[in-house]
Amino acid sequence: MEKQAIKNSVKEKVTLTKIILNVVKWFLIIFFALYTLFPLLWLVITSLKTNAEYFDNPFSLPAVLQFQNYVNAFNQANLGQMIVNSVTVAIAATFINVMAAAMASYAISRFKFKGREILFALFSAGIMVPLNALMVPYFTIFSKIGLLDSLNSLRILYAAIGIPISTFIIRGFMDSFPLEIEEAAYIDGCGFFGRFFKIVLPLVKTGLMTAATFQFLTCWNEFVYANLLTSSPSTKTIQIGIRYFTNQFTTDYVSMYAAIVIAIIPSIVGYILFQERVISGLTSGAVKG
Amino acid sequence: MRVRKNDRIGIILFLLPALILFMVFFIVPIISVISMSCFNWNGISEAEFIGLSNYLKIFSDKVFWTSMRNNIIWALSACFIQVPLALLMALLLSKKPKGWKFFRTVYFLPQVISGIAIAMLWSAVYNSEFGLLNGFLKIIGLEQLTKNWLGNPDTAFICVLVYGLFYIGYYMVIMIAGITGIDDTYYEAARIDGANRIQMDIHITIPLIKYSMLTCVTLAAVFGLRTFEQVYLLTNGGPANRTSVLVLYLYKQMQNNNYGGANASSVMLILTGAVVIVLIRKLFSIKKD
Repeated sequence: MEKQAIKNSVKEKVTLTKIILNVVKWFLIIFFALYTLFPLLWLVITSLKTNAEYFDNPFSLPAVLQFQNYVNAFNQANLGQMIVNSVTVAIAATFINVMAAAMASYAISRFKFKGREILFALFSAGIMVPLNALMVPYFTIFSKIGLLDSLNSLRILYAAIGIPISTFIIRGFMDSFPLEIEEAAYIDGCGFFGRFFKIVLPLVKTGLMTAATFQFLTCWNEFVYANLLTSSPSTKTIQIGIRYFTNQFTTDYVSMYAAIVIAIIPSIVGYILFQERVISGLTSGAVKG
Repeated sequence: MRVRKNDRIGIILFLLPALILFMVFFIVPIISVISMSCFNWNGISEAEFIGLSNYLKIFSDKVFWTSMRNNIIWALSACFIQVPLALLMALLLSKKPKGWKFFRTVYFLPQVISGIAIAMLWSAVYNSEFGLLNGFLKIIGLEQLTKNWLGNPDTAFICVLVYGLFYIGYYMVIMIAGITGIDDTYYEAARIDGANRIQMDIHITIPLIKYSMLTCVTLAAVFGLRTFEQVYLLTNGGPANRTSVLVLYLYKQMQNNNYGGANASSVMLILTGAVVIVLIRKLFSIKKD
């Protein structure tokens, strides 16, 4: 009898701790989710209010949805031009970057030559270089070659700073394919370039896409060097553009929030569509590195 | 694949684009930052060799030390608050509770949004007149706690620093990848020995993902040292330089055409980063024995 009672009380204790732990667990899981989602939701709601409504109560809902704010963002800040700038910069930089990295990876992964591991280690070490510390030389380089305040400076710079991480990702993918496939093609008379374009590139398509996704996101979101290297309205990218409304004498907050929504929507949509690729792109350099 | 004679030219050609970009935007800038830190240079006129004077000058500048201190606080809090939180959530989500994929997607979301957009969102939170934080305090009846969060020297730095510490998705995903790679037999053996889940986490999971944790701690420290956007946008170093960080410090010197001083600050930043990386690796290998 007594034994049974002790057993029961122990059982109760165990289930009680289990319940408490479960509550704590779900509290944490939901807290971190709300921490990310609530500000974004608030941003979207506020971007559809009037300034008066916003000043009156930052938590209120809009009485009438003010899609006008989005029109303002486009017209006043000239967001359309900035989006075009950002897209063309990101596409060009991503293309140059992924091509250069794929070619280097092919040479490093498929051929044994002196110093190839040193070269790869050097590239990989580049991932850890604090690029923000190189503002002076980057500014000097582009002023010397006359590319200050030109989108080409951003295209070149973005392509270059992504070389370490892209090479790291693409080489990893190439290494996972056996050399025999190319040996066969070689015997069939397929040359150096043919093997690259016809065999290796199609095989590592996933790797290329992973590197490209990462690179595109980096370009789209980059602020520091866009801010440093460009200045005129025609060369502004979207990340610079969203600050337009804060630089005016009176801040048009709701239009500014609309501009921010416009700037982050492509990232979010891309992320939701290619989630696995984005996550592996953003962390694969880290996972092995 | 052995290098065949007719492949040699191909290899060189294929390495060239990545190598040139890497040389011009990594190697040369680092060398230039180091060598030019010994010159007095305003970016236009002839540079004049002045030995270590730039270093002596920044070492005697209080703002440099404030910036250095802030960066170190930043790196430490990322390592000791953000990474442990990420570890906790990785342990919870790796057990695949209901909706874990959704939560992982949400936690990772801030990683794909530009830092500048997130910083602007938080400046809306901290705004003294119609910010969300003050608005919330008023609603729950704590009006006496409302303040000008970013303008107050006592709260400005912590406000700029703290919001990012709860964006844990990046480190969490790296650690989940580590946890997924653990062999199931460890857990089966522990289960037979009657270990509960928490014991398994402490005695099996955490020791076995040491490598992922090393990666996270290293990245957290390095990111903490190169912080710029948040501070630049939220406070621009103010009030009274209390929130300055090294990159902002060097950026401001550059704006004042003190390129020598900016380069000396860059060297200090790169050096600190290198020392931190080496220290963390040492600490982790000591723990292993």
